[in-house]
Amino acid sequence: MLKVDNVFASAGNKEILKGLSLEVKPGEVHAIMGPNGAGKSTLGNLLAGMPHVESQSGVIDYLGKDLLGLEPEERAAEGVFLAFQYPVEIPGVNNMYFLRTALNAQRKYRGEEPMDSAQFLRMVKQKIKDMNMRDDLLKRPVNVGFSGGEKKRNEVFQMGVLEPKLAILDETDSGLDIDALKVVADGVNQLRSPDRSFIIITHYQRLLDYIQPDFVHVLADGKIVKSGPKELALELEEQGYGWLNN
Amino acid sequence: MAGLITDWMTLAAKQLDDDVSPAWLKAKKEQALEQLSVLKTPDRKLEYWRYTDTKRLDLSGYEPSLPSELALHDRAEDCEVVTIRLHDAGFEVSENCPISLLVKSIKDINESEWIDLDFTQETVINLVNTANFCAGVTIKYNHTETSKPIKLIVDYDFSKENEWRYVRNQFQVSQNSKISIQEQWSSGQTNVVNVFDLEAGAEIQRLQQANLRTHQRLISFNQFQLAGNTAVRGVNQHLGGALQHHIHRINFNGSQASFKMGTVNKSINNNNIADLVEVNHHKKNNQSEVTHRSIADDSSQIFTNAKAYVAVGADDSQIEQDLKNILLSPGAKIFSKPELEVYADEVVAAHGSTIGALDEQSLFYLQSRGIGIKQAREIMIESFEQEALTC
Repeated sequence: MLKVDNVFASAGNKEILKGLSLEVKPGEVHAIMGPNGAGKSTLGNLLAGMPHVESQSGVIDYLGKDLLGLEPEERAAEGVFLAFQYPVEIPGVNNMYFLRTALNAQRKYRGEEPMDSAQFLRMVKQKIKDMNMRDDLLKRPVNVGFSGGEKKRNEVFQMGVLEPKLAILDETDSGLDIDALKVVADGVNQLRSPDRSFIIITHYQRLLDYIQPDFVHVLADGKIVKSGPKELALELEEQGYGWLNN
Repeated sequence: MAGLITDWMTLAAKQLDDDVSPAWLKAKKEQALEQLSVLKTPDRKLEYWRYTDTKRLDLSGYEPSLPSELALHDRAEDCEVVTIRLHDAGFEVSENCPISLLVKSIKDINESEWIDLDFTQETVINLVNTANFCAGVTIKYNHTETSKPIKLIVDYDFSKENEWRYVRNQFQVSQNSKISIQEQWSSGQTNVVNVFDLEAGAEIQRLQQANLRTHQRLISFNQFQLAGNTAVRGVNQHLGGALQHHIHRINFNGSQASFKMGTVNKSINNNNIADLVEVNHHKKNNQSEVTHRSIADDSSQIFTNAKAYVAVGADDSQIEQDLKNILLSPGAKIFSKPELEVYADEVVAAHGSTIGALDEQSLFYLQSRGIGIKQAREIMIESFEQEALTC
């Protein structure tokens, strides 16, 4: 599904990714861990097309397409979803309108018919029920007045509605209490399927207690320095990242 | 341009000759004419006109134009909608006008009802109105418990688009009455003076909806006389036109009154919009909240100014001025100026002004959900406007 091959990228004027390679196959869940400043969020932002994050060299193939050649909205319509570490607030625009606009923009790109209001309402009501979230979320302006946990839940809810093929979760667990963490993890687990992949960027092992990854990678100084099974996360939890300096 | 003041005075003198108004009203006009004779045409040396192309006051190069393509929001409400249409021949009132709403020509106003306004060189263009007005209405509203809420729509629809029309309206809202007033400009080049006189406990919800054609012009002066325990909630939507110049002057004459106004100035096609608010806290315990959201594109200019004056002894005044502005192109200009002039000791006042571009992080957020950049920008602008419309 996704093949990142020897990518160098910068954010602003600073080189962050320095020869990063990663392959994600359909249905796989990859956890990316690593110390602060290693380039984890830059990887997520690069995949989603954030301005000011630019690749200098390397190739990113996504379902046979050059991902770096696509605009952010085209990447989204092709199935790439980034759950933001710091979701932005959009006053005056309610979640329902925002999500329907986003969904229909993606459908239009794919040559599908737009979803009318009634169909959309039925669909989101069912989704919100399945994901054990409160339906007042739909009426509220996007992320305005939301607690940190509510913002992260809203990201996962958006992911549920937009049904991406590749979901990137950028420190979705940060700032969550244990109950909110379970809600978010349940939402992700419900969405796991043989044709949907996840890249989960996290600092801590605790999220991986609820979302079992297929692979864990350690990202340090702009590249992946170690990969292994889910048990690698437990080792990191015990040992920290000090061994990287040896 | 130098001849404009002469043109205005010539017009006023000619109208006075033909005027059949009562002697006291003619005297008011003569007084305005005399004051005009020692003033000059507005120019960029004046604070209120510094950021406006004053050549646009001259209609000699007038060209007809199409309505703006952009639509402003309308709000459906459950109330009796009464319409007053002001046109070249006078005015018409819709047949459903209830007895609680008394409408008559401004020419029939009683001397005791007339409210004098202070004009200076800065407001000379509004003084011109006093000398020249020949259209407008006086409205008295006295709400009763059994009457349905009223939304009054005042529509300015003058066919001669190559000359200025001078309109003066006076709205008197009786004690504890509540009314919604909406103004809209269908056609014409209008110079309007509105006086809103609220008696104790009265409330007004007001919408000034100025969605102008490319070459349409609008000068408006709006004075609110607020007695104790009154409330005004205002929304202004200023969009397009060759020239828009609005002044809102608020006088707190009692206590426990509040004035909240949100304004969207949207200038996208070489428009000039000036939007000035003067709030005078003459008495104790009043609250004013002024929110401006301005958006300028292409080579348009916007001047937005919120000024609050707190008199000696007007303690416990609460003032908030929130001016935010977005520039959408390098050629657009916005001048944003919050001002506080406070002579009382116990006052809570906050003011702020920002100018910037659309937030890139927010645009990226929308794009990352599949929304194209053009639509993302539209959503961001709509979101920005909402902050003023829902104030």
